[in-house]
Amino acid sequence: MTSTETLQDWLALEHEAVWLYPVIGARYGALAERARRSYDDHGTVRDGLLTRLHQLKVEPVPPALSYDVGRVRTKGRAVAAARQLERDIAAVCLTLVGDSTDELRTYATRGLRRAALAELAWDGRPDAFPGLP
Amino acid sequence: MVISRRALLGTGAATVAVAAGLGGAALGHRLDDLARSVGIEPHQEPDPADDRLIARVATDQNTLLAQVEAAAVKHPKLGLGPFVAISTAHAKAVGVSAVVPDIAPPPANRAKAVDELVAAYAAASKQRAADSVRAASPALVRVLASMSAGLAQCAHEIGGLR
Repeated sequence: MTSTETLQDWLALEHEAVWLYPVIGARYGALAERARRSYDDHGTVRDGLLTRLHQLKVEPVPPALSYDVGRVRTKGRAVAAARQLERDIAAVCLTLVGDSTDELRTYATRGLRRAALAELAWDGRPDAFPGLP
Repeated sequence: MVISRRALLGTGAATVAVAAGLGGAALGHRLDDLARSVGIEPHQEPDPADDRLIARVATDQNTLLAQVEAAAVKHPKLGLGPFVAISTAHAKAVGVSAVVPDIAPPPANRAKAVDELVAAYAAASKQRAADSVRAASPALVRVLASMSAGLAQCAHEIGGLR
């Protein structure tokens, strides 16, 4: 897999995050503030990825037509879905870290760190090796 | 290429030269063991810079492990067990030191002890991130970057113990 393909995988997850967090915030008032912060963070990352792909003259992947709403049917499931999404982002960032050099590697390393900390915000626990399966 | 943590933690032999306290020359080819264990075919010639990097990371991580272990003993109510476990996993990945590093005793004051640990984990996280950018082997790059993220998580969570 090329680094551009991995960037596209990352972007697809950021699209999902930008969909997921407003849904969580709208359904569960107790999670609204956390969800708003996560939405803001992921919106910024998504925009950065879009810019990066455009600079590479690559057509960015669009958001999916629909996502699985069942994951947020209860408050507990919503928190778990957020946590899992952050883990997925950490994993794709770690893939990119190994497939890239220099500035892109630094960018992916920052993304990995951001996802690892975001997982904690959604009741995750510290892990020795975030992003590893 | 997916690296499994099971494979990673099974690489105690990867840096056995470090664990035995041998010199830098004995580190040759250890990175190849690490790469093979995570499913990557290593370069025919191991990168000596990566070998030196692993040796330095092992020293750093074993020092951090000694720090958190000492703090856990001095301040049992802090519940530092999970962080000791994480630092042990990090040390195992790069080579557990046979000699306990010489460290200053942790502060008797709980808040100061926490502050010291937060600073130590944050500094280690920053250093491992920088190391990951410099490393040559994709396997080592990923291990160091992942380690950096885990250390950042620890710094954040230990900060919450204040």
